[in-house]
Amino acid sequence: MSPKHPSRIEFLQGTLDLLVLRTLLPGPCHGHAIAKHIQRTSEDLLQVETGSLYPALHRLEAKGWIASSWELSDKGKRAKYYKLTALGRKQLTQKHSKWRAFTRAVSLILNPDDQKA
Amino acid sequence: MKFRQKLLWLFQRRRREAEIREELEFHLAEEAEDRKEEGIPAEEARWAAHRDLGNMARVHENVRAVWIWTWAEQFLQDLRYALRVMRANKAFTSLAVLSLALGIGANTAIYSFMDALLLRSLPVSDPASLVVLNWHAAERGGADQRISQQVPVVQSMSGSTYDDSDGINSGIFPYAAVQLFQQELAEQKNNAVFSSLFAYMRAGTLNLMIQGESNLARGEYVSGDYFQGLGVPVAGRVITAEDDRAGGDPVVVLSAAVAKRRFGAIESAIGHTILIDNYPFTIVGVTPPEFFGVDPAAVPDFYLPMHTNLLLQASGRFARAQPYTDPHFYWIQMMGRLRPGVTMEQAEAALSPIFQQWVLGTATEERMRSNVPNLTLREGAAGLDTLRRRYSKPLYLLLLLVGLILAIACANVANLLLARAAVRQREIAVRLSLGAARLRILRQLLTESVLLAMLGGLLGILIAFWGIRFLSVLLSDGPTVTSLDPTLNWRVLLVTAMLSLFTGILFGLAPALRATQIDVAPALKQTSNEKHSPRRRLNLSRVLIVSQIALSLLLLVAAGLFLRTLINLQSIEIGFNRQNMLLFELDARQAGHKDPEILTFYDNLRKKFSALPGVRSVSLSHQSLIDAGTGVPINRPGASADEANRVLFIGPDFFKTMQIPLLRGRDVNDRDLPDALPVAIISEGFARKNFGDQDPLGQHLILSDEGHQRDMQIVGVARNARYGGLKHSIPPVVYVPYNQGFPQPRHMVYILRTAGDPLAYVNAVRQIIHQADPRVPVADVRSETAEIDQMIQQEITFARLCSAFAALALIIACVGLYGTVSYNTVRRTGEIGIRMALGAQRGAVVWLVLREVCTLAALGIIVSLPAAFFASRLLESFLFGMKPTDPLALASALALLVTAALLAGYLPARRASRIDPMIALRHE
Repeated sequence: MSPKHPSRIEFLQGTLDLLVLRTLLPGPCHGHAIAKHIQRTSEDLLQVETGSLYPALHRLEAKGWIASSWELSDKGKRAKYYKLTALGRKQLTQKHSKWRAFTRAVSLILNPDDQKA
Repeated sequence: MKFRQKLLWLFQRRRREAEIREELEFHLAEEAEDRKEEGIPAEEARWAAHRDLGNMARVHENVRAVWIWTWAEQFLQDLRYALRVMRANKAFTSLAVLSLALGIGANTAIYSFMDALLLRSLPVSDPASLVVLNWHAAERGGADQRISQQVPVVQSMSGSTYDDSDGINSGIFPYAAVQLFQQELAEQKNNAVFSSLFAYMRAGTLNLMIQGESNLARGEYVSGDYFQGLGVPVAGRVITAEDDRAGGDPVVVLSAAVAKRRFGAIESAIGHTILIDNYPFTIVGVTPPEFFGVDPAAVPDFYLPMHTNLLLQASGRFARAQPYTDPHFYWIQMMGRLRPGVTMEQAEAALSPIFQQWVLGTATEERMRSNVPNLTLREGAAGLDTLRRRYSKPLYLLLLLVGLILAIACANVANLLLARAAVRQREIAVRLSLGAARLRILRQLLTESVLLAMLGGLLGILIAFWGIRFLSVLLSDGPTVTSLDPTLNWRVLLVTAMLSLFTGILFGLAPALRATQIDVAPALKQTSNEKHSPRRRLNLSRVLIVSQIALSLLLLVAAGLFLRTLINLQSIEIGFNRQNMLLFELDARQAGHKDPEILTFYDNLRKKFSALPGVRSVSLSHQSLIDAGTGVPINRPGASADEANRVLFIGPDFFKTMQIPLLRGRDVNDRDLPDALPVAIISEGFARKNFGDQDPLGQHLILSDEGHQRDMQIVGVARNARYGGLKHSIPPVVYVPYNQGFPQPRHMVYILRTAGDPLAYVNAVRQIIHQADPRVPVADVRSETAEIDQMIQQEITFARLCSAFAALALIIACVGLYGTVSYNTVRRTGEIGIRMALGAQRGAVVWLVLREVCTLAALGIIVSLPAAFFASRLLESFLFGMKPTDPLALASALALLVTAALLAGYLPARRASRIDPMIALRHE
């Protein structure tokens, strides 16, 4: 979050938001579980930095894309659970299609041969 | 983010902060749990989780930053920190706040007067479109020439002119000029520059008798379109053109204050008949409470139709001068309301030639064509500028003086902050080295200084509140204060707030910049004992001390000049004994007394006063001698009258009562009756001027006016006494019995020479007058010392205020000097210890410290002397009997300053000389 590296933040921010929203699609989750889910699902390729995750969660909450409530975790401890709001769902769809367009565009440029073949 | 959310956060911050902490703690616990499951020992797992999370405080900050206004949060932090620092340094805080409060408060008080005087508008509708009609003419032959010599077309006048840098100005016109402009307005209809034009004239004090109780009250004669023209909503009806004509119904409009005081309520006054100077008038209307006429200096109690002056002033000037027909008699004032879209310049351009042509038409002789008055228009929004002319200069001067005080206070607080910044150097170095941005620390230090200034400003408003009352009393003479009404309105408070903010930044910026400019490493290495600071800090502090000394000297010189002026005025030889003298004024004619009975009435009263136990002697004169100013043509038979001659109409025993020594001849006595041979007593100056070496006794003088002549024999010569003010040279004066012919007496001032306090006789005097005739009101009861003090009120005010300001400045500067020298002495404890161990005597140590004080004082004086030399010229017009470069005032200011500086320096010097070398060396 240091303002000294705006380019890295910007990239991470957009992506992280998308990943968080997608993770919450099946149901409510607390912060640690979100991080674990992203890590496991990406086969440990993506490491979510805690220092970025929580500010991102709060930012999404402030935007009203996700909502939070305090509930008991499976181990019986009080934890802050996040869930997708209607607005967040819409955002997820939008961001997802944007991401698809973006990756397609990038791969078209990086692998022109695939297209020909 | 959304405003509401951020606001919500501010209210729930404690709970929300805890939630963030809990959320992060939960994450850590979960992480540790996971790792433990992977087989890592519990302790290690916890550490790994922490490592993974990174700087928890930082994450917390970043999370919080989502929810809040960072700047607001930081500001609150700074504010809380500043308040904590203030509470920890109570002595420093109260000293700084107090000195700022004095400076800001004094500025606020003076500014609120300027606001009332210069910025406020008349309480009428659309004041901005009002213009005052004036005329302007070149000055010829010096300011003390009569007006008919300077501007020949003005043969006589009732009113005043004033001189400015390029000639004579006045707002009085002949009645024909009013008709001229009104005719112009009627002919041009919608093309006229004015939508209305109205006239007015001060009626002076008249005897207002309401329901059997008489009082003197100030009246205003107004033309028939005065109230409509001003747009004042009058309860009842206004004075109309129908009322304002010769022989019109005698009607009067009262002010709200008088109506309330005398009738209880505004409505109940309307319809009553009252006596004004014994003539019946019907009350037809009452003005609204906020209305005070067109001149904030006048504040009339009632308004009369213009033409009633023919009735009320029948025995005075207006019976003789034919005011409504004589185009050479100037007396009436005018105001116009500009038609929408017409500028003042356009109106002036349109009306000037018309007036010019008319004035030239009134010239009956060739010499009248030279130097005719030219029409000028002035803004009328704030009313006539009599008050502004009288007070704006003194107020600007006061503003300058209090500005200096504020500058000294700022310098002082800056110095205190500087000294404290040195103490806090380590704290700031620690924070800088921990990564705090310099700007952030700067902001925090400025928050502290602005907070100080704001507290000073708040306290300053209290001081201003008190100061305004104090100043109102000091500056007041008569009705002025009621209409000026200086209050702490939002404009004044805004200026105060800006002033506080500005001073806070002004005195805070330099120390804050200096404090954050430190080299971190050496500052951190210092121990707390070793308060070793860079030389630069000291230089800035020295500059501040020197400027404080320089500013104090300016104020001291000003105070010296004002005090000497006051002493000069108070030691003026007045020529009579001012002690134990009671004066009061009566006007029997206004109460209905007629000739020749009025003479008996006045004389009987005099005899009754003489019979009062404790009254040594009694006399009367038509004006109080010190305040008199009457010129009637008086000349030796065959010679022409000297315009400089002045006259005073007096009663028996005048010179005995005044205790003016008679050089030759006798006093007026009871045998100088109306039918006896008319006599006169002349002043020494008159004798020397008109008779030279001749013996004036037995010679004759002719008093002639308006066809009357009085041939008088000189029976005495009196020592010169002050006539008409303290500051002017004494004119040649002729004292004439009031009862020996034309002009017949109107009002009279009685003079009682008493044993002991003159004011103790006031009740007895009132009783005697009430018994003689309850219709006759008593006015202007005062002792002679009070009357003279009133004349030099402004000088007394300035001398007192400026002395107080100078004392304040000196105290603040000395506290600053004392603080700096003490601080430096403590810093040099080691050095002094070594010097003493090597055999330095106590005297040498005292001198070592005092030398610094002397250097600073000398520098301050060197800087200030040329400034004082030039600045004192600003005061020239306020001084009396001395030059602005008065050596005595300068020398005493210097002596006082040096003494105070040495005193402030001696205390720390003596402390330094008592240093025990052993302790001092161990201290290193």
